[in-house]
Amino acid sequence: MTDLDSIEQYAYDVLVIGAGGAGLRAAVEASACGARVGLVCKSLLGKAHTVMAEGGIAASLANVDERDGWRVHFADTMRGGQYLNSWRMAELHAKEAPERVRELEAWGALFDRTRDGRILQRNFGGHRYPRLAHVGDRTGLEMIRVLQDHGVHQGIDVHMECTVLELVKDGDRVAGAVAYERERGLFRVFSAGAIILATGGIGRAFKITSNSWEYTGDGHGLGYRAGAELIDMEFVQFHPTGMVWPPSVRGLLVTEGVRGEGGVLLNKEGRRFMFDDVPALYRDQTADSPEEGWRYTQGDREARRPPELLTRDHVARCIVREVREGRGSPHGGVFLDIAWINEHLSNSEEHIRRKLPSMYHQFMRLAEIDITKVPMEIGPTTHYAMGGIRVDPDSQMSGVPGLFAAGECAAGLHGANRLGGNSLSDLLVFGKRAGEYAARFANENGGTTIDGSEVRRSIDAALEPFSRDGDGTGAYQLQFELQEKMQNLAGIVRREEELEEALASIANLSERAQSVAVPGNREYNPGWHTALDLPNLLTAAEAVVRAGQARKESRGAHFRDDYPDKDPESGKFNLVVRRGSDGEMVLEERPIVPMPEALQQIIEEQQQ
Amino acid sequence: MPMVTLRIQRFDPENDQRPVYREYAVNADPTDRVLDAINSVKWYQDGSLTYRRSCAHGICGSDAMRINGANRLACKVLIRDVGAKVTIEPLMGFRVIKDLVVDMEPFFAQFRSVLPYLINDEGAPERERTQSVHEREVYDDTTKCILCAACTTSCPSFWADENFVGPAAIVNAHRFIFDSRDKAAAERLDILNDREGVWRCRTVFNCTEACPREIRITKAIGEVKKAILSSAR
Ligand SMILES: Cc1cc2nc3c(=O)[nH]c(=O)nc-3n(C[C@H](O)[C@H](O)[C@H](O)COP(=O)(O)OP(=O)(O)OC[C@H]3O[C@@H](n4cnc5c(N)ncnc54)[C@H](O)[C@@H]3O)c2cc1C
Ligand code: FES
Repeated sequence: MTDLDSIEQYAYDVLVIGAGGAGLRAAVEASACGARVGLVCKSLLGKAHTVMAEGGIAASLANVDERDGWRVHFADTMRGGQYLNSWRMAELHAKEAPERVRELEAWGALFDRTRDGRILQRNFGGHRYPRLAHVGDRTGLEMIRVLQDHGVHQGIDVHMECTVLELVKDGDRVAGAVAYERERGLFRVFSAGAIILATGGIGRAFKITSNSWEYTGDGHGLGYRAGAELIDMEFVQFHPTGMVWPPSVRGLLVTEGVRGEGGVLLNKEGRRFMFDDVPALYRDQTADSPEEGWRYTQGDREARRPPELLTRDHVARCIVREVREGRGSPHGGVFLDIAWINEHLSNSEEHIRRKLPSMYHQFMRLAEIDITKVPMEIGPTTHYAMGGIRVDPDSQMSGVPGLFAAGECAAGLHGANRLGGNSLSDLLVFGKRAGEYAARFANENGGTTIDGSEVRRSIDAALEPFSRDGDGTGAYQLQFELQEKMQNLAGIVRREEELEEALASIANLSERAQSVAVPGNREYNPGWHTALDLPNLLTAAEAVVRAGQARKESRGAHFRDDYPDKDPESGKFNLVVRRGSDGEMVLEERPIVPMPEALQQIIEEQQQ
Repeated sequence: MPMVTLRIQRFDPENDQRPVYREYAVNADPTDRVLDAINSVKWYQDGSLTYRRSCAHGICGSDAMRINGANRLACKVLIRDVGAKVTIEPLMGFRVIKDLVVDMEPFFAQFRSVLPYLINDEGAPERERTQSVHEREVYDDTTKCILCAACTTSCPSFWADENFVGPAAIVNAHRFIFDSRDKAAAERLDILNDREGVWRCRTVFNCTEACPREIRITKAIGEVKKAILSSAR
């Protein structure tokens, strides 16, 4: 039995779990509201997944095209999400994003600038006007650095390399968290008036992914076990362009910026297959000819966007179709060609190196390919979870009093498909809101008491793998098996039998996860850490599969081979997953509340 | 797949008095990264092998380590560039916590000491502060830093004196000193004019050579030195 007195204990008004863009922005806000804030993260501060974001932050600053505004951004987001989004979140997001970006600028963020010194904005898929504020292809790095330095000098307490294992409740309300620090393997207990989950996504449930090792669905699992609902879990975004060769870097992201700068997709016959299949919803906004598409990428405001810049779900599916029908590239992808722009630009090589420096280096180093001269080989990669913890649109509080969620682990804004750039703006807008409302909640509801026996139970459970026999490779092997199954059975194209098979595998893996053994000791033991990540990853995977089975239509990122069409009836609900009274996963259709007249009108206006 | 031998410095604080080297043979393609080879040791041979990594993308700065004697990010070095026998050791100059994981706190403390955040008390403008393309260009290079510590831990002045603020901290001061929106350059120059500041730099260029982001660090340090001299005048 664990002696609780020997465990380090901390008390905060607001505990933020996760130090990516969402967690940092929330911590900064809660602290500005006067709350005592603790911030916990699995890796070192500044290394969170947000650091990888390349393309930019979507906000209708209208610096490049004055026709842009929150209404257009709102309509674009809803259309991209196939109208399953929370319209209230989409409204708040579109209205507040510009202010959040300017605030970041005021705190010292570097941005690329227009000729008159304003924040420069670039084109991205599904956004009607150039909308992404950016700094080269390192926007995430800049964002995280600025938020972190701003926050730390405000006096936020940071617990780095510390992983939260379980949330603890005081009656209905969330009261604290049990965590272990990775360095010494010692436990820590946090009590808090309010807790914000900002743990990111679930990409590590799949084999081919652009996501980092941290993406094991911890927040999804923690929230679910504490009684929060998960929503839209069937929608996993597969980014159309990941590297496919060499094998060691399969899945590594190739930024959408390549297509934004004029890159085109070709099959092995050299055909621009994206012109063959333009969805009705987007036909009026899509270029008729390669020539018009090129003009669009070069800033011609009269031109319409090339089909390569349609939404990610659609582009990914077209690529899969080409590969399946035998028109793919040698390593199972298709070609992405930016070198072709030499037809239009005499200094194209230099231009590409200047506009896409990271991509140039990435392919040069890893694949020995000079993208200024030859096409790249690319294919879809697991990229983003639209699904996550269901929250109140204004406050970001989940169904569990005192438990908030923001960023990728929360859901609602993106519906069936997220637009590129809408995540970083999501982190800022709803990170701030979560921080503000959590501070308020803690202030109004006071402190909490932590039940020692609950703490003891989670600690004892966490230590169990050490007392089992085994060679310790178990945890990794289970994770690999899960990734393989999810990739093959619950990936871009889904079928009933395969989802059924995936579910059976998850049940089997969950069973085996109960008996994983870990050798060695508690100090910085990665095998143990992986074993502790497993239950969360399995919960997230099960939710994806169950919701995927229940949505018997194809919409956004969810594509069913056996139900290839959109079904208007299915467009009237979201799927919600929660934990039943016997610990089983319960699924429910939740009707979508109709949009107010004024918002409906915006959508109609913008359809023209 | 060809075999590669990894000679890895191991240290388990509970059982080892001092670090030991262990050898592992792994299958690795020439196009695999060193990080892939280390992962394969951890996944299939010894689950207790410990190192930091996060993005595997060369952008988070978690996995700087000494690879064949040079500070590199394991996720950016290919096997074909390091040969069939690779020695892997933790960064020099920091306490080793376990295996390849070092205590980064002193490094972050040096970073924090240069006030790495924008200081400007004038009220924020209604829209963004404008900045010309040129003004922005002046400090573009030093904003690329990912705080991996490869530069600082390759610097002989830092090895000789652990209180030296180190190249990484100077790089991060540089970005604010030369940012047209910032008002505290004088304060930062003062900090760096200290005994443990820029003057410890002997222009050895190790830092520039080690930087995985190809920041021209020695040049940036030179610009800071020059700014101190001209502000003193
Ligand atoms: C390569 C790449 C490029 C991208 N580019 C863009 C782009 O250009 N524009 C855009 O809008 N979006 C982009 N995205 C998506 C976007 O980067 C992410 O969705 C976003 O950064 C998620 O931020 P977050 O704050 O929710 O989580 P993260 O930044 O992932 O942070 C999660 C935090 O939670 C911590 N954590 C997790 N579990 C635990 C636990 N159990 N205990 C304690 N701490 C925990 C982690 O340590 C980390 O600090 C990109 C994604 C990728 C992979
Ligand atoms: S793991 Fe992020 S830089 Fe190598």
